[in-house]
Amino acid sequence: VATSFPFPRRSPVRVTFGIGLAALTVFGLVPAVAVLVVSFTDLRGLPYLPVDWVGIQNYVTFFSPAKWPDSLNALRNTVVFAVVSTVFQIALALAIALLLNRPLRGRSFYRGVVFMPTILGVTVTGLVWSLIFNVNRGPATSLLSLFGGRSAFFGDPTIALALVIVVQVWMVLGVAVIIFLSGLQSIPDELSEAANIDGAGAWKRLRFITFPLLAPAITANVLLSIVNALQSYQLTYVLSGPSNPATQVLSLLVYVQGFGGVSGTAQLQSQGYASAVSIVQFVLVGVVSLIALRFLRRREARL
Amino acid sequence: MATTKLRVEALARRTVLSAVAVAAMTVLAACSGTTAPTSSGAPSGTLQILVSSADASDAAFKAVNGGFEKKYPKIKVVFSSVPNASYAATKSSRLTAGNVDVFVVNSFRELPAFAKDSSSDDVLLAQSGGLLDLTKQPFMAKYTKTVLDTQAIGGKQYAVPTGLSYATGVYYNKTLFEKDGLTVPTTWGELEKVMSTLKAKGVTPFGIGGKDIWPAGVVGLGIVAGEYPTAADKAKAVQSIWKGTTKLTDPVPEEILTKTEEIYQNAQPNFAGTGYADIPTGFAAGDYAMTVDGTWNAPVITAAVGSSFDIGYFPLPGSDDAKNNALLNGKIELQLAVPANAKNKTAALAWLNYFSTKSVYTTFLTGSGFTSAQPGIASTPFLDSIKQYTTTFEPGWDSVWVPNTKAGQDAVYPFNFPAMVPLGTSTPEQAAQASQTAWSAAF
Repeated sequence: VATSFPFPRRSPVRVTFGIGLAALTVFGLVPAVAVLVVSFTDLRGLPYLPVDWVGIQNYVTFFSPAKWPDSLNALRNTVVFAVVSTVFQIALALAIALLLNRPLRGRSFYRGVVFMPTILGVTVTGLVWSLIFNVNRGPATSLLSLFGGRSAFFGDPTIALALVIVVQVWMVLGVAVIIFLSGLQSIPDELSEAANIDGAGAWKRLRFITFPLLAPAITANVLLSIVNALQSYQLTYVLSGPSNPATQVLSLLVYVQGFGGVSGTAQLQSQGYASAVSIVQFVLVGVVSLIALRFLRRREARL
Repeated sequence: MATTKLRVEALARRTVLSAVAVAAMTVLAACSGTTAPTSSGAPSGTLQILVSSADASDAAFKAVNGGFEKKYPKIKVVFSSVPNASYAATKSSRLTAGNVDVFVVNSFRELPAFAKDSSSDDVLLAQSGGLLDLTKQPFMAKYTKTVLDTQAIGGKQYAVPTGLSYATGVYYNKTLFEKDGLTVPTTWGELEKVMSTLKAKGVTPFGIGGKDIWPAGVVGLGIVAGEYPTAADKAKAVQSIWKGTTKLTDPVPEEILTKTEEIYQNAQPNFAGTGYADIPTGFAAGDYAMTVDGTWNAPVITAAVGSSFDIGYFPLPGSDDAKNNALLNGKIELQLAVPANAKNKTAALAWLNYFSTKSVYTTFLTGSGFTSAQPGIASTPFLDSIKQYTTTFEPGWDSVWVPNTKAGQDAVYPFNFPAMVPLGTSTPEQAAQASQTAWSAAF
């Protein structure tokens, strides 16, 4: 009985595990393998059109001299988006979590306010920020005009990506704060009190008690943020359109190639090529995540 | 005892789960079976129509659908209008699922031999037997033969052309022009004078919805129309670009970019952040004196302006020779096809026949703002006012140009409008060089 705790028999464990495994296989593994297979074809996603095996042609095209400038631009934007949004998200979320972990009047309300953007969803968030940065009569335009400035905001290729990152951080900050808060609340108060008695100041308590004990939460947050940012395209699509080179990230390239072509042109959609790009993206996400995980785990062990 | 109880509970759970599963399957089966597959006999059941959206044409289609349902009370029309950016994805999934009966085909024209590999999905669909052959349908005879000829695939007709649109014109504030003593420019030099006069009087010459990028490309289409005025000129240019005898850095292609950029410099501040949908409101508010837009948007612009001032429309004069700027360049508007796997072909054909009848089609044109693709149809007052620019139908550059799918984004149009300031960060020369590099690397 002790070995099968908390279940009286093994069959419920097997059944629930089996259902989970089956769901993962059907909705995760099979589509992933299918995408890999499709990346070696010229699938266009329409009935009646023949599907031919093209080998590694789609990958060759992605890295070809003709497509490479577009591919490199998307790769560069993706990496910038992931790194900058992760750094700002973690720093801001940590600062807010430390603040909201202190005794504070109306603390629950502030926590709710910080988490609220997360539940708005991409479309509402996109709409809200499109209105804020509306070039005609938006609040940001009015504010800027007070100082004699003007900007096209999401239409300005020099700042469009930065603005999308700001909105991304705003939207996902709540989840990171919650993870940090749960980490902070698991740190026993006695440790800080003891350090305080020993004469440790606020910075030393933060550096030698809070940060080391918060390391697992930092690892989780950094990984979630990197993976989320590397895969994100919805906000970019809503805020600056599907084919704006200034904000084109790999996921958006996959979307445009796989599901839309380029609006206003005869550029074709190609789900075979889109699949090849998504495999490149998968490799990028995998490599970056593994490197980050390895680094963060080592750091946890050191601390 | 405990084991027996557990078994009884397990049996009860299984029974409940089975009942839920059966109920779910029944509901799903019921959902997927709402359309009666009536491929012959009297039209009935559900008719699924899918189009790419535009405010004016959507309203016009809905009016047609209302009349059709009255005539055929046994048919329920389900009309889906999808934004251009997501139309291809929706079309793909619905064609695959087989739940669309009438839909819009894009880039529907046979390509010259040197660019066969760039045929659009819809052309390939027609060639592979995925579209119903409409050649012998009686309603096709109502459409202008020259229009049908341009959309024939292998000599056959697969789509109903809902109308024509002109994309290379400029809406202008007639009242303001008269007040400032300005006349309609017929050459590039005259347009430059109009722009400088307006600027000197503190009026922004042009309004452009650059955030959506393609409206800024429409400016370029107007300039191209002046540089390559006839269909033959355009076809020759396309062939020479494909064969490499014309480089995108040559004087004419570069001049197209330089002139386009000059109009960008005369547009409202930060136009790269303004959406296409905001332009009619800004034009109506007098924020700018002109806007380059297609005739398809005439109903929207007319409604926005109301009685505030008079509107005029003239071809964007891209050339210094007035002869080359005399005609508007256009395209065939939404072309409606019936997929071979349509569940309700009878209703689809009945709808296309109803749509093509003179009175219904006339009402559709009034609502959509399209020019007639049928001979002998009365025009709207707006289209009547631009008759002198449409005496001969000249296809626009976008109807003749064949993009190379292997080339990069800088060579899509292939004149690289999106790379230029303020949409991008390049000068016209840099943009031309980038498009030439992207183009030549594809061969």
